[in-house]
Amino acid sequence: MMDDPELRELFGDPADQEVIDLLRATRPAAPPLDPHFRNYLRAKLMTEARDRLGEPARRRWFQLGPVGMAPAMAAVAAGFLIVLGIEIYLHPSSTTGQAVAVNVVGIDNKKNVATAEPIQIPFSGPVDKTAVQESVVIQPATAFTQHWEGQTLVITPAHPLAPNTSYKVTLQPKASAPASQPLASPQPVQRPVIVHFLTAPAPVPPVVPPSFKSGSVRYAYDNRLPESSKLSSPTWTNDGQLLVTGPADAATPSTTATTAPSVTTTASTTNVWLMSTQGTLIRLVAPGGSYPSTAPSGGVFADWQQRADQAVLEVRDLQGTVQVASVATVSGHPDRPAVWLGSDRLAYLNDGALRIVDLHGTAIASPALKGVGAMTASGNGHFLAIASDSGSLVLDLTSMTTTPLPAGATGFAWSPSGQLTFVIPHGGSTDLYAGADARTARKIATSDAGESWSDISWAPDSTSLLVASRSGSANASHSRLILINADGSSPVTFGSSQRDYASPQWSPRGDLVLFTRRDEAGGVSLWTAKDTVGQPSAVDNAESQALAEVDKFMQARIKGDLTGAQAQLDASAQQAYTSGASALLSPGAPFDRYYPVSVQLVAPNKFLIGARVFITRNGTETSFFEEQLTVILQDQRYLIDAVSATPTVQLGHGPTVVSMEVRQNGQNQQVMVRFDSDLKPETVSADTIQIKDGQGNRLKARVSFDPDAHLVTLETKLPPGRYVLVVTTGVDDINGSPVAQAYSSPLVIGG
Amino acid sequence: MPDSIEERELVERAKRDPEAFGALYDRYFPQIYRFAYSRVRDQSLAEDVTSEVFFKALKHINRYTYSGHPFSSWLYQITLNAVADHYRGQRGEVELEEGSDMASREPAVVDEVVRRDRSRRVWSAIDQLPKHQRAAMVLKFGEDRKIEEIAVILGKSSGAVKLLLHRGVERLRRQLPQLEAELGTP
Repeated sequence: MMDDPELRELFGDPADQEVIDLLRATRPAAPPLDPHFRNYLRAKLMTEARDRLGEPARRRWFQLGPVGMAPAMAAVAAGFLIVLGIEIYLHPSSTTGQAVAVNVVGIDNKKNVATAEPIQIPFSGPVDKTAVQESVVIQPATAFTQHWEGQTLVITPAHPLAPNTSYKVTLQPKASAPASQPLASPQPVQRPVIVHFLTAPAPVPPVVPPSFKSGSVRYAYDNRLPESSKLSSPTWTNDGQLLVTGPADAATPSTTATTAPSVTTTASTTNVWLMSTQGTLIRLVAPGGSYPSTAPSGGVFADWQQRADQAVLEVRDLQGTVQVASVATVSGHPDRPAVWLGSDRLAYLNDGALRIVDLHGTAIASPALKGVGAMTASGNGHFLAIASDSGSLVLDLTSMTTTPLPAGATGFAWSPSGQLTFVIPHGGSTDLYAGADARTARKIATSDAGESWSDISWAPDSTSLLVASRSGSANASHSRLILINADGSSPVTFGSSQRDYASPQWSPRGDLVLFTRRDEAGGVSLWTAKDTVGQPSAVDNAESQALAEVDKFMQARIKGDLTGAQAQLDASAQQAYTSGASALLSPGAPFDRYYPVSVQLVAPNKFLIGARVFITRNGTETSFFEEQLTVILQDQRYLIDAVSATPTVQLGHGPTVVSMEVRQNGQNQQVMVRFDSDLKPETVSADTIQIKDGQGNRLKARVSFDPDAHLVTLETKLPPGRYVLVVTTGVDDINGSPVAQAYSSPLVIGG
Repeated sequence: MPDSIEERELVERAKRDPEAFGALYDRYFPQIYRFAYSRVRDQSLAEDVTSEVFFKALKHINRYTYSGHPFSSWLYQITLNAVADHYRGQRGEVELEEGSDMASREPAVVDEVVRRDRSRRVWSAIDQLPKHQRAAMVLKFGEDRKIEEIAVILGKSSGAVKLLLHRGVERLRRQLPQLEAELGTP
């Protein structure tokens, strides 16, 4: 057993051998590892590595002016490159006799390609760059920018690519000769270069969102957002990106100016940017803007535009398009964001006085409150908690009546479920209050002596909240984050207690917390911390088991293993397949891969899983069909009990849906439909993407579209029951190609 | 064990080629994370340490020169330093030093072994060894490092490493029957 000569030499005593043999025969248990951590760290390292080792220094983000640079910058900063990997020779130039190659090693048919990667195509010799650029086509339809780095063409998608998607890049290179030996004309290659690659799968979302109770949430790892010490007033967008105020680039007035700076937007010193959670500035969305605030829905935000000694409140969408140019005007310089009251009204301060307007700019009568300090609205837009010279109170925005809060109440926050919380400094500590409304709020927790609490941020499921807890003197204070259950129980430190944290903001999905942290040099930067939920719920475990059984079923079919596939079916499903509800094995071209498009909890231990199965011909994916599998727990094991299938859909003919997810959002449901293509926004509407009831009647839903994520969100309020999501052929990609055939998927809303 | 010439070439390339550095990361992440975890027994800390190791490696890779030992030895050294830095910054958390008594940790060990099989008990017991013994045992039996490499990593002589291994095995040999007797299991 002791086959290591070193050990043999070292441990001659037979008495040691039992232990040695045991150690040699075993290994320590694999340590727990967050599956995302490895890739996350790699991405960070590669970004740093490119800065340090490889590429010439890039200009900093704030030196990049044009909006069009942002996507390129975003992708480059993400630190990835797809290197197209087939060496394809163009035919030699008649004058030089040299062949030019598209030198692409290891990309064609590459799988698990990250969705944020630029596509890099190196050429071994001179080519007609303009002609090559003009020939590039990406399918599914993808907007992109291109630039050359030497002889390498870098194609940067305008938005992250879709997950689980097979992409085809086509280009038609033309060789060109050196200037000393010009060709009569660029020489086209015989055939276009076509490369396929498959993007990485997306994680399957849990059917029941995780609980963020303090006992189950753990601070996993954190990430300092680059250059973030220059950023301020960050806020989450509803789809988990960030809006930040940053310094304007070249528009800062000269420090030696002897004349007053001109009164134009270019004289402003700030801009509002859309930023990724990795700190990559994606897009300049409000030149000259500051203090953005995200609307509860609709994909818009409000920001202030400073115009000399006045500031104008405007509303833009996340593309930066102005939706309402002037909602309100105030004198002086605002020092905080406006507050959304639902999605159609805004509250703001003018010289310390409360003002409320609708999006047409019409003033709405409200109580005369002056000296207003903290101000926070409930998620449904019905209530506004205010600290003012008249005391702290809650304003009912329907009746415009007020209810006083205990003296000293401040730091208001509303949970997503409508719970009001606030703090009251009390002696040397702070009391935390919570309640369904102003009258029922009661003290639920008190800070340690000498600690003051502020900056309340609720978890998305309203089970817990984060507060910043500051201790020490004004000169030597220290702040940590504390996670507390909604009832005030189980306070625990979130993150290190030895670092200086403040201003936590939980992301909409709860997986990240944004906060500020003082660094060693005394500056304050933005950080995000990944949190993990320690104990998966019983439903999470059940979902995993059901998906695992579906995976076995699908893998058996892909291998052509009929017996293995049948082993995952109960009698009812076997009968369904036998009677032609769908084909267990492909009669012709093989099944190539599958992925879950949707997972819905129908009843306890019963799931409806939409699975898309791809078919290949000659090594290329050509079509797919989708099955809705009902999976039920039977004798302690999940089996497929029922199946229905769609007709086969040919790939490459317009946009397709890649995922569908239903999320509870307060009292409403959000149906989130993700596409593989960049879509024409004007074709995304309640007419083209619909929810129907069991009788086929269209139901009212508010539709919003996030082009970055190819994501359409329908927000509606549905009683428990079965519905159908319908995507019509009225949805076009950016090239004008419509959805090839209407797509429908069952929707199950639980009780 | 990677071929040393190929590894040396990769390391040299990684001094100027980000992709080569990425390849080194891919190659060594599992063992460095595993080793970091074996030292700190905390997932979040292990992630912090692993992150620090690779960022430091990136920062200083130009200073790395091949000394006849695998590149991983250098990474293990950085890991140990990162772990030591962490514990230096943590008041109230002190690792066991050489010669400290395991008896004070026995209840935790017993709790652990009740739930585990015999082979796992050995590794649980290794977790309770003084830090240098533990590092030497993990590197030898968990990571299959040569004694000479372990000596480089720990900054000790080969003889000292042999002594650490000897003491570690002796402790385990003495400890296991006792634990098993307490458990009433073979």
